[in-house]
Amino acid sequence: MNEPTNFDAARQARRITEQAVNWYIEQQEPLSERQRAAFLDWLRASPKHVAEYFAVAQMHGDMKAAASLKQLPAAELVERARRDNPIVMFPHREKAMPEPRHEQAARGTRRLQLLAGAASVAAMALLWAGLTHRHTAEARPQQAQVQHYASGNAAQSLALADGTLIQLDRQSEIDVRFDDHYRRIEVQRGHALFDVGKDSARPMLVNVGGHVLQDIGTIFEVRRDAGGDTLTVISGRVRVLDAQNSSSKGDELPLPGVAIADLTAGQQIELDASGVSPVHPAQIAQATAWLPAEISFQHETIANVARRFNAYTSTPLQIEGEEIAQKRISGVFHADNPQAFVAYLSTLSNVRVIRDADRIRVVAAHPVQTRAAHL
Amino acid sequence: MREKHATWSALFAEKRATLSSYFLRRVAHRWDAQDLVQEVYLRLLRIEPADAANIRSPEAYLFTVAANLVKEHAVLRQQQPLGSDELEQVVEQLVAPTNLEADMDSESRQQRLAALIDRLSPKCKAVLIMHYRDELSYREIAERMSISTNMVKKYIVKGLAACRQRMAEYE
Repeated sequence: MNEPTNFDAARQARRITEQAVNWYIEQQEPLSERQRAAFLDWLRASPKHVAEYFAVAQMHGDMKAAASLKQLPAAELVERARRDNPIVMFPHREKAMPEPRHEQAARGTRRLQLLAGAASVAAMALLWAGLTHRHTAEARPQQAQVQHYASGNAAQSLALADGTLIQLDRQSEIDVRFDDHYRRIEVQRGHALFDVGKDSARPMLVNVGGHVLQDIGTIFEVRRDAGGDTLTVISGRVRVLDAQNSSSKGDELPLPGVAIADLTAGQQIELDASGVSPVHPAQIAQATAWLPAEISFQHETIANVARRFNAYTSTPLQIEGEEIAQKRISGVFHADNPQAFVAYLSTLSNVRVIRDADRIRVVAAHPVQTRAAHL
Repeated sequence: MREKHATWSALFAEKRATLSSYFLRRVAHRWDAQDLVQEVYLRLLRIEPADAANIRSPEAYLFTVAANLVKEHAVLRQQQPLGSDELEQVVEQLVAPTNLEADMDSESRQQRLAALIDRLSPKCKAVLIMHYRDELSYREIAERMSISTNMVKKYIVKGLAACRQRMAEYE
């Protein structure tokens, strides 16, 4: 995987869009000095950032006009939003009832309750119990075609028809079945990272052993190995629900049960036959360390990022100067292309790059007095 | 130059949305947008650290650089849509945009955008429409939706990002 894949490109584009929108919205309030510097750094990191920022600005200029074409009164919009509550099931095909570990009174809002449940191992059934009433169990269409993907000895990127991007680690297998009402994926084994395409009419359900995950516009990672199953949410939100007994074959949808866990970006949960662990913060870098093609980091010190690159190169990066080393940055780079990272570093203010034969040194530059304002 | 920049910043703060769409429209029709981006980017890279610290609003700076480049380019090609060297004149033109072609373009863009808004989740959609159509503040929306103002902001960002990603597919 020495070339950028579609997966990487699409994911990177999505990230840049999100960053551009974030910066655009931040400007509604005056930026702090630090934010200003960070924004400038971001712009200077790539022409793609500049292009995307312009594009966001342009689109934003059309937002009022576009939104004004909508007729629905605000009250109706609010009501529809309230009814929209996507859910995921934990299936139970055995008689055993879930064993509650934590219980927490429901608050006025529809916040989930944390209710750990004992989930049976082999259960394959899954259920979507959102309030999109038009999809009832009876209305399910005929069997969808099952596509089987196995990565073998090389990691693999898949782009599905709905825009979902999947990264499979080596020795990983998944089944994909899409029909008119659901997008369903089963992780058989290995590591898989999902960047889920948006399709509000067809929820995405991901089956992991006896557990089912449902998400909306999310990036998350699933690991299945001897130690059990682990779910890590990189961005967005994933909800997990308990399901009632499934009546018949594994392919039927059981009735809705109780919400078990709700994970947001940066959270992780262990799933196994005996239940689920409490939700806890994830080491995202660690969880996605198997991703072969890129190095991605959020608010990480330059020193640490450099260390990660150094695992891939024979001319290591050496960060000199505490101020640079401790500066925190976010981004995505191809793991096999530390040059791109060096180029990025060289655009930061007060940074100078010195290329020696056996290493690349990143040092503090002496600020030069100049009057040039390139306007 | 810096004084001018300060004036421009103040002006810019008022006219932000109009301004950006103004020059982007001009760019779309008169110059390859990619060239502009490349050129803007190079200028950003050339800012010296000492100067960078003095930029009060990097965003205003960004758009100013872009607006100037559009202008220079127009002069080079003798199209002279702005007719003068004064930046202030750019702003005057902002108030009365005359490019019919560009206006039609923006209408179809807005309809496309409106269609994309419908594809958002009901929550995102509600937040965006209330904010942009009804001009409700984050706080007002938060009260109506029984969510925090922070969540309102998140929905705005998420909704805009989703729309923008899909708009990019048209380009």
